[in-house]
Amino acid sequence: MHDLNRRGVLRVGSLAGLGLADVLRLQHAQANPVAPKKEINCIFIFTIGGMAHQDLWDMKPDAPPEIRGDFMPIASRVPGIDVSEILPHMARVTDKLAILRSLTHGDSDHTAGYHVMMTGQHPGFGGNFNRNVQNNNVHPSLGSMVARLAQGSNTLPPYVSVPNFMNSGGPAFLGPSYAPFVIEADPASPEFSVRDVVLPAGVASDRSRRRQAALREINRFERRVEEISRQERSFDTFYDKAYRLMTSAEAKQAFDIEGESESTRTAYGMTSLGQCCLLARRLVQAGCRFVSIENGHWDTHRKNTMSLKELLVPALDQGLAALLNDLDERGMLDSTLVVLTTEFGRTPRINVMAGRDHWPQAFSIVMAGGGLKRGLTIGATDKQAAYVTDRPITPSDMAATVLSALGIDPDTTLLTPVGRPIQLAGGGKPVSELM
Amino acid sequence: MSVVSSSSNTRSGPFVALLRQLPAILICVICQPAASSVSAEQGIQTLFVEPLEINLRGNNRTQQVLVTQKSVDGRLLDVTHLSRFEIAHESLARMSASVVCGLADGETRLIVRHENSEVEVPVHILGVAGYPPVDFANDVLPILSKQGCNNGGCHGKASGQNGFKLSVFGFDVDADFDSLVKEARGRRVFPASPERSLLLSKPAGHVPHGGGLRLEHGSPDYELLLAWICQGTPRAQPGTPQLQRITVSPLDRVLATNSQQQILTTAHYSDGGTRDVTAAAHYTSNAPLVADVQQGLVHTGQAPGEAAVTVQYMGQVASVQLQVPRAGQADANAQPFLANNAVDELVAAKLAKMNLSPSRLCDDATFLRRVWIDTIGTLPTPDEVREFLAEPAADKRGRWIDRALDRPEYADYWSLVWADILLVDRQKLGEHGAHELHRWLRRQFDQNLRYDVWVTELITASGNSALYGPANLYRAVDTPEEAARSLSQAFLGVRLECAQCHHHPFEKWSQDDFYAMAGFFNGLERKVIAPGRALVYHAGVRETRIPISNKPVALRPLGAAAPLPAAEGDPRVLLARWMTAAQNPWFAKLAANRMWKHFLGRGLVEPEDDLRSTNPSTNEPLLQLLADRFSQDFDLKVLMRLILNSRTYQLAETPNGSNADDEQNFSRHYVRRMPAEVMLDAICQAAGSPESFVGSPPGTRAIELWDNRLPQYFLEIFGRPERTSPCECGRTSEPTMSQALHLMNAPEIESKIAGEGGRVDRLLAANADEARIVEELCLATLGRPPGARENAVAHELFVASPPRQAAEDFLWTLLNSYDFLFVK
Repeated sequence: MHDLNRRGVLRVGSLAGLGLADVLRLQHAQANPVAPKKEINCIFIFTIGGMAHQDLWDMKPDAPPEIRGDFMPIASRVPGIDVSEILPHMARVTDKLAILRSLTHGDSDHTAGYHVMMTGQHPGFGGNFNRNVQNNNVHPSLGSMVARLAQGSNTLPPYVSVPNFMNSGGPAFLGPSYAPFVIEADPASPEFSVRDVVLPAGVASDRSRRRQAALREINRFERRVEEISRQERSFDTFYDKAYRLMTSAEAKQAFDIEGESESTRTAYGMTSLGQCCLLARRLVQAGCRFVSIENGHWDTHRKNTMSLKELLVPALDQGLAALLNDLDERGMLDSTLVVLTTEFGRTPRINVMAGRDHWPQAFSIVMAGGGLKRGLTIGATDKQAAYVTDRPITPSDMAATVLSALGIDPDTTLLTPVGRPIQLAGGGKPVSELM
Repeated sequence: MSVVSSSSNTRSGPFVALLRQLPAILICVICQPAASSVSAEQGIQTLFVEPLEINLRGNNRTQQVLVTQKSVDGRLLDVTHLSRFEIAHESLARMSASVVCGLADGETRLIVRHENSEVEVPVHILGVAGYPPVDFANDVLPILSKQGCNNGGCHGKASGQNGFKLSVFGFDVDADFDSLVKEARGRRVFPASPERSLLLSKPAGHVPHGGGLRLEHGSPDYELLLAWICQGTPRAQPGTPQLQRITVSPLDRVLATNSQQQILTTAHYSDGGTRDVTAAAHYTSNAPLVADVQQGLVHTGQAPGEAAVTVQYMGQVASVQLQVPRAGQADANAQPFLANNAVDELVAAKLAKMNLSPSRLCDDATFLRRVWIDTIGTLPTPDEVREFLAEPAADKRGRWIDRALDRPEYADYWSLVWADILLVDRQKLGEHGAHELHRWLRRQFDQNLRYDVWVTELITASGNSALYGPANLYRAVDTPEEAARSLSQAFLGVRLECAQCHHHPFEKWSQDDFYAMAGFFNGLERKVIAPGRALVYHAGVRETRIPISNKPVALRPLGAAAPLPAAEGDPRVLLARWMTAAQNPWFAKLAANRMWKHFLGRGLVEPEDDLRSTNPSTNEPLLQLLADRFSQDFDLKVLMRLILNSRTYQLAETPNGSNADDEQNFSRHYVRRMPAEVMLDAICQAAGSPESFVGSPPGTRAIELWDNRLPQYFLEIFGRPERTSPCECGRTSEPTMSQALHLMNAPEIESKIAGEGGRVDRLLAANADEARIVEELCLATLGRPPGARENAVAHELFVASPPRQAAEDFLWTLLNSYDFLFVK
């Protein structure tokens, strides 16, 4: 029963509060996660710090200058959808995406906002500005849910994070098996390589094969299967997966961003975000189900205009537009959901430091592809982009939309270690206008 | 006891013993007609029926019958679903399987037959026609619970379901009453046209219901809800008895594989009355592969082992312990289990009961490596291994256990273990706070101070957090609620987090209990004196109220009958005195269980810090023994010696013919992966190439680190915990692909293997030959000389490559091998 000792026992031990039918359904679901009906993958871009919605996606040109800011709207490819003048590339691809202008939640704390927008559920703490807590162990991130419930390629890990681990991107109670495979390197760097996947210097491939043969021999030498403990056997599984990844030509190719043509690399922009987008496309192409990208830092409390215009937006504008064009040209946009999201928006009024502060009451995110409707906006805010006036969308609704698009029932219930049934998307409903 | 027909043997010894095993019950006995001529030695087959007497009061009451046979060899066998039932007067009652249902008022008898035995039970039926006044708490809510309406996946979840919210498991009677009767503009209950009430029409499927059909139209439950609405939806009936507890039968039972056992659950009320709630209670097994349970019926599977079934009914809990011994003969080749100490006697008794034979004693080298890793988080050096193996004395294991306990690494390792439990998180406590608390912890272990003394110091800590380590505990747990939750779990193994928001679903703890504990910490101040530093002190007791009801709660330790008398000053002193007392039901037990799990790989109770009554120990006498010994002087090293010197700790991992599946009873050693810090140190030590940690002096080992957030990729991926919640589950040993990739390919590890001045480099510089290199590397990694397989594997590598490369490849192979990564 060792296997059942913690999550197992508690998982089962906690079925007590459910009706019999629920128990059977849950036991079934936990034993045999239902494979999603369709294979749609996700690239999830998180602009960390809080993206200024009114300077990018939800312009208010008629508001007074201290509200509307320094940027003016420009017309985009879709008549009636205006975006910021600092998004010239994105303006040409609005026919491929949906702008959701009515996101709203109640927490202006980075940590809580990050958590709620990565998982669809509030972590249960927050309200404490910049409380510096690693919070990935409260609810599982969307990527971990996908890793848990989706079937993926056998070689590449189902959930990958680049260019670093994301604090709210962890598996929480689902366990480390569903943690992201983290590519801790910047694909824009000339020295980019994926940690530990390539053989260390001085170890050629024939030598590596000798080592692997020796290892198999030493672990199994004259042992009967039943003498090999369960713990060792579960390690075996991961050694096998790791070895397949190391030796797979497919994986090698996916990670080898240098193999991409110079013109494609330039089209995405030689920036961290641009090259992360390009790497994400390669990974999805090779069988990853969920690639999350963190980009920052967008916390523009000071010099908002300059930061956006010169430091942050150009890379996003170029990289994201290139990603959408590239996916579309390859016929992959329908099977790849691209999400651009953030913790929250920024205050309507520009502060004394020429910055904008945290504003969770209303903000915008972008979704594209994955079979969702394109070329539209959803929801609206008031004249100051301060409050939602039409069609509020919660983080749980966003999570439900992502999961639904990926073919996973957002109402699927999983049990936490203390036995609380938790719906994947926290009870959120998919944004039906997109479906 | 009514003996319908008896033999002269009925009152003999075995029968009395049997009565003790069936504490809750019965007894109508019929013996075989021939019994009187059968001697006691040959055994008597007897049939028992529970309950002794059946009383059905009201229309929807039923009575589950439990029929037990004592077979000729003395075993108790559930024959409920094999028996034939007859009601003497068919017009008064009928049977639905093994359940008696009343049809009309009157007196009759239930006749139970199985094989040649027959038992009669009197049946009294009253109040079938015309509903007695319906009570919301006693009659209505149990139906909602039974149908699953208020479970956490449905209307019981915090947000309710489709606008209709019930308290989870019906813990809040008033709120549920309001929700049904006062909300939704009276559509849920509609006295003017009772059957159109949503309470009936939804679950009966008359109008669409997301939860499906839950209530059959016209069923007794449906009729009762209807009667309640017709009676005007009363909240309570005057003088209604209160539910006081539930009892279950059987309390424990030994079952065969692939068999079944009916559970009988009875509710007891304040007026002395009882009610059969078998069908309305919830049942959960903690080991469904051993024994699964559905609606009160247990099915055992193929796997031997133990299971506990938790029974819940309206906030009351009980549990049934089930043992399924391994079938078949004892292992003929098993070595005799010679007890080293009292621990082994209790383990042996349990193994005999489960028909398991223990594995043989592990060899000396395995023993030494195991003791070193488990006690000081450190591999033995090649010289230590050689010295230990060469020593002829028969008592050397005990002496080397003492040697390990006296090593300075003992304090390093145990302060690491406890820093996890006490949430010594640099991110939350700041550098000064985390460092001071860690340093203080290390001192407790270094001087082997009494556990009760240092826990008291922690619980009552006040002072400047930058200067006085223990004060930081209250910066790690910084609200009264968090303190109640974390400290109850860390020192008592009582998990209260559920009870913060609702009645604990698997325990007796209510919100009252929770806030009565939280109150001890209400008044604790953490006055910031500089960034990351605070003055911690108790400013005197403040009134604590339960948020939902706004009801004030007096300070009361868990399970204490009466609140503590109000006292001046810091109430934590009283709390600590109660908590660390030898008589405290959990304090010593939790420490003993943690220690057992640390050394044996599995707690006697699992999870190790969840000592609830419904989560029983797999060997309660052993846990009690450990706790009793420990509470004599709260000396951790004495407790460790008791465990480490036991034969049980020193068993081999290799299974014999009987115990390959045993993962509960310690018939063999359960292997575990080394913890993250220990493994990193082990790699450095084996490769002869230390790691350097940012901000720490050269030579610092990973087990000495106080900073749990130090950026260190190896520790991150191998499961260094974040120390944000008090359970050791934060420290996971689950494997991941990143770990395997890192061990195989990381340049950091390769540079240790092949680096200048490392073990391989030094061996080659000393012109060591193949045999010497292989021996040295095996001693350094596996803690033993090479065996046939190591020699064979190494030789192939030495044939294929020049010595340096071959030696590096062999070290790589050993560092990736399971004999290295795991504690065998």
